[in-house]
Amino acid sequence: MTSELTLAALDHDDAIGEALAGVYGDTRADFIRKSALGGAALLGALALPETAAAKTSDTALLNFDLTFEYLQSTFYTETERVGTIARMTPAKAVWAKTLGAHERAHVAVLKSVLGKNAVSKPAFNFRGATESDAKFTRTAVAMEDLTVALLSGQAARVSSRELAGALFSLLTVEARHAAWARHLVGTVPVARSLDRSFPLNRVRRVVASTRFIVESPRMTAQRSPRFTG
Amino acid sequence: MILPAWPGRERLSRDQLLRRVGRSSTIGDATISRGDLLGRMLVTGGALGAGGVLAAGLPEFGASATSPALDRRILSFLLELEYVQAAFYREARAKGALKGELLEYAEVAGTDERAHVGLLRRALGRRAPKEPSFAFGTATTNSRSFQAKAVALEELVVGAYVGQGGNLSVDRVTRAARIVSVDARHAAWIRDIAGKHPAPNAADAGLSAAKVRRELTELGLWRRS
Repeated sequence: MTSELTLAALDHDDAIGEALAGVYGDTRADFIRKSALGGAALLGALALPETAAAKTSDTALLNFDLTFEYLQSTFYTETERVGTIARMTPAKAVWAKTLGAHERAHVAVLKSVLGKNAVSKPAFNFRGATESDAKFTRTAVAMEDLTVALLSGQAARVSSRELAGALFSLLTVEARHAAWARHLVGTVPVARSLDRSFPLNRVRRVVASTRFIVESPRMTAQRSPRFTG
Repeated sequence: MILPAWPGRERLSRDQLLRRVGRSSTIGDATISRGDLLGRMLVTGGALGAGGVLAAGLPEFGASATSPALDRRILSFLLELEYVQAAFYREARAKGALKGELLEYAEVAGTDERAHVGLLRRALGRRAPKEPSFAFGTATTNSRSFQAKAVALEELVVGAYVGQGGNLSVDRVTRAARIVSVDARHAAWIRDIAGKHPAPNAADAGLSAAKVRRELTELGLWRRS
């Protein structure tokens, strides 16, 4: 399976790199190289020995994370597809496109680690949240904060310490995304000295309350029901 | 994982990265299967990156069994970093060179670092290292120097936590995650102020404790007065 974890693979119309170079002054090559290093390091960090990754509880926990990353990446991709990002100011568009690229990278890595145990992507209905800058931004920031609250708890729930460490490298990026967004809209980028951590049920309830997921993913390993009579 | 997460520092090209894991072709050209990478990880002992330096008794990324004693060593190291940050922001505010958003940043970040110091001191109890005095020189009296050093400092702290996260026990790991996420927010904010990309990587790399101490020393932020 190709694990091209560079921005080049995700930046299908070359727009992200150019926009970034314009706003931040990096050369596009530099930016892609940095993204490649980040992605490859994460793949390395999450490339656990088969036995560790095969532990049922860790697989289920990682699949929860994967579903959440599907939610985020699809949300950003949809928002771009319907033209909402194109209508943003250049600096805001760079933020929104970067988040999409990062979340797609997170999906790619988690799928790679889970292999055949990866859940499939659910169907989503974002109920208008992709259609205005303001709605998108509020939802995106809430999702990023929720990812931090999810992953900080996952680090204690997973049985593999290597996996726990790798989750740190994801949650810090989600936190950066949220602070960046708050800065863009003019609020104080850091709201609290200690971030919250949520139990899984609370994360599930928050996600369920959005009604964004319209079809639950199916585990490929799920047994079919037994029929009587 | 010891790949730095911010521009301008030591970087591996894609080819260098792949040579370290035993391939000669580039990420762009080669298909890296999950099996390949797993195999390489097992052969190289899990170090996919620069240096592989074991720091001053702190284990490499995710390499050792956790224990209360290891927790204490790690939390003591992280407390040292919070001491640096708290003192840095406190002194910068006191010296009066900061204005506008930089001053606001130093006020908010300083409040947070003070809280982090408190959390880690409470976690360590009577074994907590004492707060040292620092000599930051012009880093706190010149706003341009402050800005550059604040960027570097927050990145080093993020890298330190990411590097040690896998070595903490389940009792300590969530608390550490809830602290570093705040420092990551600081990093994004000060980078945006400085005109740098707030989130340059899809994943933040971990740094060894030795590298963090070395870098802080080079920055003049580790010197005791």
